Amino acid sequence: MGYDWDFGVVLRDFDLLLLGLVNTLKVTGLALLFGVPLGLILALCRLYGNALIRWPVGLVIEFLRTTPPIAQLFWFFFALPILAGIEINPFEAAVLTFSLQSSAFFAEVFRGGIQSVERGQWEAAKAIGMTRNRALKRVILPQAVKRMIPAFLERAIELMKTTTLVGTISYADLLFRANQIAQSTYRALEVFTVAAAIYFIVIFACSFAVRLLESRLARSGESTAR
Amino acid sequence: MTEMLRLEGLVKHFGDLEVLKGIDLTVMKGETIVLLGASGSGKSTLLRCVNFMEVPTGGRVHLMGNQIGREGRGGSFDYAERDLVPIRARVGMVFQHFNLFPHMTVLQNVMEGPRTVLGLSKSECKMRARKYLDKVGLGWKADAWPTHLSGGQQQRVAIARALAMEPEIMLFDEATSALDPELVGEVLDTIKELADEGMTLMIVTHELGFAYTVADRVLFLSGGRILEEGRPDDILLSPREEQTKSFLRGHSRFRLPDTPGQEQA
Repeated sequence: MGYDWDFGVVLRDFDLLLLGLVNTLKVTGLALLFGVPLGLILALCRLYGNALIRWPVGLVIEFLRTTPPIAQLFWFFFALPILAGIEINPFEAAVLTFSLQSSAFFAEVFRGGIQSVERGQWEAAKAIGMTRNRALKRVILPQAVKRMIPAFLERAIELMKTTTLVGTISYADLLFRANQIAQSTYRALEVFTVAAAIYFIVIFACSFAVRLLESRLARSGESTAR
Repeated sequence: MTEMLRLEGLVKHFGDLEVLKGIDLTVMKGETIVLLGASGSGKSTLLRCVNFMEVPTGGRVHLMGNQIGREGRGGSFDYAERDLVPIRARVGMVFQHFNLFPHMTVLQNVMEGPRTVLGLSKSECKMRARKYLDKVGLGWKADAWPTHLSGGQQQRVAIARALAMEPEIMLFDEATSALDPELVGEVLDTIKELADEGMTLMIVTHELGFAYTVADRVLFLSGGRILEEGRPDDILLSPREEQTKSFLRGHSRFRLPDTPGQEQA
């Protein structure tokens, strides 16, 4: 225990860490904003599309789920400009990559949620004259989404942690900043401890809020009725 | 009397399995039809073909004077989903497992069809929903969640939900089979009331006493065919077919003795 902790140097650069946190939240938030609706669309294509849609979509989902996120990130950042002639900055590459990557995971969460709703619910909706789309919107999805909340939260946490990869393309997120400070102060232990604590606080607070929401939803109506 | 439903040579296959092997049936407006038969006899499938929960493999369905579906090429017959949706809105169905929407209150459950399918105004839907909830005796539960109701109450809400569409015909698919015995009566009472009011009903049930009381006509199905049909007296008390007889014997193997000491009470 001979190590002499000194958090002073970290706290001096704390605003840099916070700037990094803002960038982390920006990428995570935008990836959620695009990834969740895209995930729903992919899930619906995979569930209800004809074979010409179902198979390619399934392939894309599996591809995004099984390739390392860092490879996807490099691909969009380095390959896209060369192949398509599109200039793309690290921020855009990060949002693009993580929107697509998380959409694949959210697609599977949506699919599981939709499939978990009893057949009787479809039948009841159909029997009062609903079309499939209307039944999905009014009856199936509201129930599915409620059940998906834990899996959804899990994915969102995973996403936030995965965004730490953006440092590799020099996007200044929280971890990138921490690394910078560590190199200039030689206080890696303190810096990364603080960075980890920030991740912990943000994620813990978010998951607490989601659990609160979940229990409130659970009180309004139940999911056990057939 | 007006004809409500006419089935001509209705056939339904599930893969290789032929569940309905040619059903001919005409139901008049205001009639109450009870379908009996062992499990696998096709009675539920027959019911589900009437509102096209299942699409028939062959034969013709006429509802309210209109033939459903279109003549396709080469003698085939097409049922397009977009043609079937409006039909389901005019045929009510009540299921064995109620299938109330658990994320909606009782009132919302009943309002849902009129609101989203018929496109009525919110206040109109609310009035209609209250009317039919009162009818099944559950107006006081309007703001409850379905899971907080007993099975019998849930099923009555399901009936109100179907009635709120103001259907031409109501189908009951073993509506009391999932209920605890002491809750069966309240649901049967509700159905009987509809029959008395002149609603056209098709009922699949195992409650023979109820069938006897409520039916204008009883059909006994076996192996995907109507084996025997007639007035409840004929079918339930003096059936001709051996299969009907053994079915009825099976259902009444154990009975309480008649009027056990009424003077005690």
